[in-house]
This record gives sequence, structure tokens and C-alpha cells, in this order.
Amino acid sequence: MSSVETYPEGLAITVEGVSKRFGRTLALDDVSLAVPHGTVFALLGPNGAGKSTLIDILCTIGRPDSGRALIAGIDVVKQPLAARRQLGVVFQETTLDTRLTVRENLSFHGMVYQMGRRERLTRTDEMLELVDLTDWADSEVKTLSSGMRRRLEIARALMHRPQILFLDEPTVGLDAQARARIWDYIAALRAQQDLTVIVTTHYIEEVDACDDICIIDRGKILAKGSPDALKSQHGSTLLKVTPRSDEARAAILARYPDAVAGAESQLLIQMTATDSADAILAEFGNQLRQISIDQPSLESVFLSLTGRDLREAPPVSRKARRNG
Amino acid sequence: MSTALSRGFGQARGVYAIWLREVKRSLRDKGQLVGGVSRPLLWVLILGIGLNPYFRGEVYGEVRFVVPYTYLQFIFPAVIVLNILYTSIQSAVSLIWDREFGFLREVLVSPMPRNLILLGKVLGGATTAVIHGCMVLVVARFVGVAPSWSDIAQAIGLMFVLSFGLTAFGIVIANYIRGFESFGVFSNAVILPLYFTASSVFPLDPALTRAQTLVTYPEWLVYMVEFNPLTYAIDAMRGILIDFNQFDPAFNFQVVGVLAVGLFLLAMWEFRKV
Ligand SMILES: Nc1ncnc2c1ncn2[C@@H]1O[C@H](COP(=O)(O)OP(=O)(O)OP(=O)(O)O)[C@@H](O)[C@H]1O
Ligand SMILES: [Mg+2]
Repeated sequence: MSSVETYPEGLAITVEGVSKRFGRTLALDDVSLAVPHGTVFALLGPNGAGKSTLIDILCTIGRPDSGRALIAGIDVVKQPLAARRQLGVVFQETTLDTRLTVRENLSFHGMVYQMGRRERLTRTDEMLELVDLTDWADSEVKTLSSGMRRRLEIARALMHRPQILFLDEPTVGLDAQARARIWDYIAALRAQQDLTVIVTTHYIEEVDACDDICIIDRGKILAKGSPDALKSQHGSTLLKVTPRSDEARAAILARYPDAVAGAESQLLIQMTATDSADAILAEFGNQLRQISIDQPSLESVFLSLTGRDLREAPPVSRKARRNG
Repeated sequence: MSTALSRGFGQARGVYAIWLREVKRSLRDKGQLVGGVSRPLLWVLILGIGLNPYFRGEVYGEVRFVVPYTYLQFIFPAVIVLNILYTSIQSAVSLIWDREFGFLREVLVSPMPRNLILLGKVLGGATTAVIHGCMVLVVARFVGVAPSWSDIAQAIGLMFVLSFGLTAFGIVIANYIRGFESFGVFSNAVILPLYFTASSVFPLDPALTRAQTLVTYPEWLVYMVEFNPLTYAIDAMRGILIDFNQFDPAFNFQVVGVLAVGLFLLAMWEFRKV
């Protein structure tokens, strides 16, 4: 078996030219990226961007059509079993057994990850404590709220002390409070320097706290870098206006053909060097219900890279998409 | 301890975990338990007791019992096999649930090799089926079947090998079923025909020669019975419990054994691509 310590220059994950096709959809198109050890790395992209497909390949469930992926220096196609020992995953859709209790789910995980009995027992208690589920240890999972289930899944993914943790949309479908709590756990994990976290999300405001971000759309990587670097490279001042009427909307769109539809009938206009908010106010001021000016943010980065507002499209579950 | 040995222990623990989950889940499943109790009761009470007085025939002018047993005694071993058949296939079909509700991914992303995942699953299904078979065996005395302890041990052994093969068979089928509605169709299209053509509820009169049998019964039925591997499993169970065989006992056991191994290999082949 190849040694775990030999991965190049402290990289937890290396992806080189990975492509994956499902029928006519090119889910991943020549994707390459590198994630340094011990960082929190976010994959940001709209529905169908290919985030889950990439995670499936990295955790050895999906096979790339071409290219190569290494986890802690281990090739995921050539040595899947060895790679799996190094990673913990929380999939987009829950994979708990809802008829077993919280403790039974953790214990099952410990056993299939071939942990010894004593370690399994102590680790179960530690993990329950980490995600504040000690009081629920003997409840069946079906009695838990969705936020609690998510926490249990994170605890379970960490049971066997993986080096790399994948979280595919860990906060989707949760209320604001439960989401904040999940991110608290991720921050706490980050403090334990031994873990690399790869997280995918739709919620742009969540990724500001990550070390590195990778924006992906239609299977292609559009940009990579730290939040600040991305903002200064691709960000722009964003003007958000809410027209009073459809006529006003049409007029604005005629004047600014690049404006993009945002949430709640907003129009998002990217300011270039020559535009100014004053010009818009002078021209359309009396036809606007609301106007706001956003300083360069990741949202504007996303907009200028993809020409779409990330908030527009709510996440759809894979199953719903398949059946629909 | 060498790493190979400790890995072997670790993987055995993983197989145990998968086995344990299967057994726990099915014991917690009230519906399955109710089915496991009511199905044999219906067969024994209604069909068995109802047909008991008619289980004799007039063959060539002579009124006699077709086989030297009451009808209850005759179908009892078959009812055990029926319960095993249902439970094995039900356990295997839980694979569809695991796939649909995502749990399968939790196992597939673990460092357990696929074949061992399958082994745990099949052993778990087989264990549940044996439990359901034993629930029938418990009432043996009430239908006039009095197996010795060694008969019981043999019966359980046979149940296990048979359940193992049938669960593997169920896994192969489950791989082709998308969605749960199909299970109803499936049980009507596979389980019942398989059961009824296994000489389960009627004997092929052993006193007749082959030529006479073919005259007495339609030819297609005789061939179906002979072609159906379950025939030999039921016959083996009868041999153990009431000492009545229509076929060669050694051949019966060979069929059941070969089937268990063959179907498991087939399931392994299917499970590669899950
Ligand atoms: N098993 C599959 N069969 C066919 N097409 C698939 C399959 N899995 C993914 N796809 C397609 O590949 C593309 C990428 O899907 P993927 O699930 O990776 O996107 P995603 O970024 O995770 O989206 P979301 O944010 O909605 O989860 C989509 O067009 C999707 O429909
Ligand atoms: Mg996804």
C-alpha cells in the first residue's frame, strides 16, 4: 500500500483533467484543482453544475471517464479501498438508516470502517458530544429533525478519523439557525488542523469564511482563489433596483441589456467604470421602488462569471430531478 | 499480528455489522412479522385442515391415500419453504429501499469490498428467513409432525442453505426492479408460480410409473414440477420431517447446494455494477 505521507507538497486533493459524461450531459469538463492540506475548500455552483458528480468521483463512488484524482496521494480509481479510509462523506441526500437509533448508526459505521470495539465506543461518545446529540443517542433517527440528522451525519462521517471531509450541501433545506449551527461545527473542525474540508453550497454568504473557493458551472471551473482574491479580480459594484412597473422594467432592460433578473423582481446591474449610480437615478429614479448599491461581493463575482444570479434557482434534489 | 490477519478481522466485523442491521431491521418490522405468522397459519388452518379429508384418491378402482400421510402432514414442510421463500425475497428487496433512500451509499463508500457487503446482506436475509421458517416449525406437533432433535437440526441446516440461495436470487431480481410497486407484481409473477409448481400442495403420486404419471397429469405440469428447483427443496424438507420422498434424497440436497452457490455467484456478478 502506498504511504499516506507521500502526497505532493501537502496537497490533500489533486484533480487532473477529470471529465465525466452522463448520456448527452457533460457533467464535468476537464476539471483540475488542488486543495492544500488543512484548509476549508468550497465548491460553489448552481444546480447541475457538477458539484455532486465531482464529489462522487473523489469518494470513489463515481468513475471519471478520463483524468486522474488523488486523495491524500492515493489514486481513487486504482486504490478505492485505501482512499476510502482517508475520507468521510456527508452526501447531498441523507444516507442514515432511519429505523436504527442514533447510536446504532454510529456503531454500524464504526464496524464497517473496521474500528476496534473499544475505540468505537469511545469515539461514538465523543462524536455525539461534538454535535450535541448525546441526549438523543438511543432515539430512532426517524424521530430527529432534519438539522439534527445533518449533525448526526457529520458526526458519523468523522467517526473513523478521516483526513478529508466532504460535505455536499450540508445546509440545504435547513432553517437559518440550523444552518448557522452546522457552520459553527465546520469552524470548530477547521480549528483541528488535521482535517481538510471540502464543502459544496448554493448559499453564497456561507463561503466567505472558507480559505479557498472554486466556482463551477456546467461542468467547468470558472475561477479559483481565496474570497478576497476573487472579489478583487472578478467582483464589481452591483446595483440592485426594483422597478415600479413592467414598463419601467422594460425601459431599464433596454438601457442596460446586460442586467440580470434577481430574486423578488429585482434587476441586478453590474457597474462598469463608465456607469454610475447617479446616471441611473437621474434617468429612472422616479420609476424605482427600491435601489441599493453593493460593494464587490462573491455574489457579483458569481454574476460576472456566469451571467446568472445564484439565488434565483433553489436547489433541487437529484431524485426529484430524475423523476421530473 | 500481521496486517493481513487484522484486516481479515476488521472485514469480518464489517460483515457482522451488515448482517446485524439486516436482522435488527426485519425483527423491528412489524408487518413482516405479522406476515410471517399469518401466512403459514392460513395455509395450515384453512387449506390444510379444509382439504385434509379429501386427500385420498381413487386410482385404478382402488380407494386409498395417495401418500401415506394426512394432507396436513404433507403440506407442512412445504409451508415452511413458502415462509422462507417470502422472507428471503423480502429481505433481498430491501436492497431497493437502501438504494432509493441512500443508505447503500454509506456502505458503498466504506472500505468494505463489495463481495463482503453482499455476503453480509445475504447472510442477514438468510438468517431472517430461517427465523421465519422456525416459527412454522414450532407448530409441528399440532399437525401431527414429530421431528426428532436431529431432524430439527437437519431441517434448520437445509433452511439456511435454501434461504441463502433464495436471498441471493432476490438480490439478482432486485437489481432489475426500479421502484417498490414492482414487488407486488413480482411476488405474483414469481413467488406463487414457483411455489405452486413445486409439488407443494399436491403430490405426484409416487406409486405411479412415469408413463402413468404423464397420463394422469398434463404433461406440461409434470415438466414444470420437475424443472422447478424448489420441488427438490420441498422434497428434501419432507424427507427430513416426515420421511416421505418423491425424488432421490441425495439429488435433492445437491440441487439445493448447487443452487445456493450458483445464485450467490450470480448475485456477486450483478452487485458489481450496483
Ligand atoms: N446519474 C446520473 N445520470 C444522468 N445524469 C446525471 C446523473 N448524475 C448527474 N447527472 C447530470 O449531471 C449534471 C451535474 O449534476 P450534479 O448532480 O453533479 O450537479 P450539482 O452541482 O451537484 O447540482 P445540485 O446543486 O442541484 O446538487 C446535471 O446535469 C445532472 O442532471
Ligand atoms: Mg449536488
